[in-house]
Amino acid sequence: MERSPLVPDPGSAASSPGLPRNLGLPEYVTRRPSGFYRTLNPATKLAIAALEVVTVFLVPGWLGPIAVLLVLAVVAAASHTMRALAVIGLAASPLVISIMVVNLFILPGAVDPIFRAGPIAPTWSGLWFGLLTSTRLLVFSSAVALAYVTTPVDDLLADMSRRGLGRRGVFVVGAAVQMVPRTIERVGEIMDAQRARGMDTEGRIWRRARAIVPLAAPVVFGALTEVEERTMALEARAFTAPGRQTQLRVPADRSRDRALRWAALLALAGVVVLRLSGRVG
Amino acid sequence: MSAATAARTTAAPTIEFEGVSFAYPDGTQALDGLDLRIEPGETVAIVGQNGSGKSTLVKHLNGLLRPTAGRVLMDGEDVRAVHVARLAARVGLAFQNPDRQLCAGSVKAEIEFGPRNLGIRGAELDERVKAALDAVGLAGEVDTNPYDMGYSRRKLLAIASVLAMLTPILILDEPTTGQDARGVARVGSVVAAAAAAGRTVIAVSHDMRFAAECFGRVVVMRDGSVALDGAPAEVFAEPHWPELRAANLEPPLPAVAGARLGLGSTPTDATLVAALVELAPERG
Amino acid sequence: MSLDLAAVRYRYAGSSSVALGPVDLRVEPGMVVGVAGANESGKTTLCLVAAGMAPGVIGGRIEGSIVVDGVDAATLRPHELAQRCGLLFQRAATQLTHTTATVFEEVAFGPCNLSLAADEVVERVWWALGALGIEALAPREPTRLSGGQGQLVALASVLALRPKYLILDEPTSELDPAGTALVADALVRAARETGAGILLVEHKTDVLARIADEMVVLDRGSVAMRGPVADILGDVRLADLGVEAPAKVRLARDLQAAGADFTAELASALG
Repeated sequence: MERSPLVPDPGSAASSPGLPRNLGLPEYVTRRPSGFYRTLNPATKLAIAALEVVTVFLVPGWLGPIAVLLVLAVVAAASHTMRALAVIGLAASPLVISIMVVNLFILPGAVDPIFRAGPIAPTWSGLWFGLLTSTRLLVFSSAVALAYVTTPVDDLLADMSRRGLGRRGVFVVGAAVQMVPRTIERVGEIMDAQRARGMDTEGRIWRRARAIVPLAAPVVFGALTEVEERTMALEARAFTAPGRQTQLRVPADRSRDRALRWAALLALAGVVVLRLSGRVG
Repeated sequence: MSAATAARTTAAPTIEFEGVSFAYPDGTQALDGLDLRIEPGETVAIVGQNGSGKSTLVKHLNGLLRPTAGRVLMDGEDVRAVHVARLAARVGLAFQNPDRQLCAGSVKAEIEFGPRNLGIRGAELDERVKAALDAVGLAGEVDTNPYDMGYSRRKLLAIASVLAMLTPILILDEPTTGQDARGVARVGSVVAAAAAAGRTVIAVSHDMRFAAECFGRVVVMRDGSVALDGAPAEVFAEPHWPELRAANLEPPLPAVAGARLGLGSTPTDATLVAALVELAPERG
Repeated sequence: MSLDLAAVRYRYAGSSSVALGPVDLRVEPGMVVGVAGANESGKTTLCLVAAGMAPGVIGGRIEGSIVVDGVDAATLRPHELAQRCGLLFQRAATQLTHTTATVFEEVAFGPCNLSLAADEVVERVWWALGALGIEALAPREPTRLSGGQGQLVALASVLALRPKYLILDEPTSELDPAGTALVADALVRAARETGAGILLVEHKTDVLARIADEMVVLDRGSVAMRGPVADILGDVRLADLGVEAPAKVRLARDLQAAGADFTAELASALG
């Protein structure tokens, strides 16, 4: 809802026909982040995250999670993403709590109670196992989150495109990512429209349940009717043309990116092999 | 309309905006210290360019937006204290995009949605639906699926569904965009009929002609506050043209013609014709 | 060199009634052809057919021929047609890709799809933005724009493909008067600078009066009137066809209806 900059001043260049000004490729398109981890190629970051996830789950005991946690802490501090990780931790807390509760009280085969209060008997093994599982969960989600938070989706898609992911794949991922915020916004608009018609959104729960159809229907119908128009709009922009889609912005893939990526993938393979062969765990 | 329904329609309240400011979460200032008073039964067109704050303004009337400063009063009572769902019984707002609200499989069910939420049932409900359909010219489409109708008719359907709520205050957000000549005429008759029934009618529009012809009062908005406010003849009179242009609007053609011919303020075709005929009755 | 529709009839998929036709129409480079008509008279169908979307993308059955610069449209793939006939819809929201971070990249989407060199893409984007005076919007997020701004961005996105013919379905319907004037002037400029032929569907006959050279009026799918803009807009039959005459014409007619003859004064007043 901003003041419209549509109308040019009578004296501005835009209103006089003639030479358009070519201002070159803007920096907000080719923006380069700063910091060692952030500037890593997206595929490299993904490979590292994959290694971290595999380590957390396949290396037995506390070694895996603790090792990865240390690495994450260093990287997060260096790339100024501590706050984002704290948010993830907060979001995971309900799950962590339920894991703790379940394991504390219902770990099968545990025979070392902390105390007894009638039928309720939390066990030390349960506590230990619960802590281990929660830590694994938190470290795993932090590893993924770190890669996600430091990689703009466009960079990831541009990189995938460079590596051969077709324009359809790129479009689908890009559209899917945008779909959630868009749908949320749309639901907000629809809610406004239906509330203006007297639909009750505060109040007893069964009243609110009745609001589902008036909210869901416009979302669904709207999305469906849009499909045809959006398909045509894409065709109108030559989406189905053959050949490689020009990339205006491609993240760099330097030798250190490649080296790190290969190292991570090899280490990942190593962990899997070791685990499978029974040497470890 | 049955006597029962007529009796149910309460008198329209007085609307007052007292120093209302509103800023969106991202910081955009949409309304800036706005003062406005609308008496019961008035027909008001709120005009301005895209982004001048028109839609933001009317959303304060049914509680969808709350002012970040100032107060919105209805009959002296601060609207802030009232739930949106309850304000809906007093203020009906037809949104610009009809597809945001269409939620039923038939025209009839769609129009029934609003009144049902207000507790209307049975014979009275049927009566309201029929009246609303007649008012917008969709009488033959009772069982049609809204998505089988074109966009402009869906827009009329959205207006009908708000009409059926018989709210004392009726607000239409850009009702004429995308309408053909017949559609615009329809909207005009809806406004006239609602006004005749004593309802306050407010329309947000950037169609100067529609504003001049169908409304008794025009409020020109610019940058979140009121730039001009008065009857069409006053607002579109020549002395106010610089102000209009500063708000990125143009006076309607009859006003321009009338001014050039020295006939005073003639904001509509009808007033211009009348002025000319009066001037030279021998040719009339 | 022209866009020619000859004896075209079209039925939507799953429908037996003829939505459009028979229609004969020609758009020549550098010319603006206006299309008016009541709602559901076939205007949107005409746009979809002329641009090859119908039946190309949405199915349905077509008869007759569409020839673009001597090439039969039926032999062209959708993306080849897109480069020849740019299509702009009524509502901006559905035309944005919703996968780009900035308006610049949104407008670049089309040229990038054509695998053009990056320099060429950049040049075309700035040209398209400049033609509409919206360079200031380039860094903005496409999804955060107002309706009118979104429409201009959608128009720029189509212009960036440098099509030979532009087919526009009520491009100004959601714009305010200032935005409408901007788009109308930009279209004329585009026609002049690129030599594009424009097929413009509009309710706002004032816009057609301002920029169209000739026009047709559709009624229930077929052409009811055709000719130079001034002639058509002055014709009394427009009202029966559900089309609003431009303000000047309406005024003159109201005066005549009042039995008065003030055409001289009116002409001098309005110039």
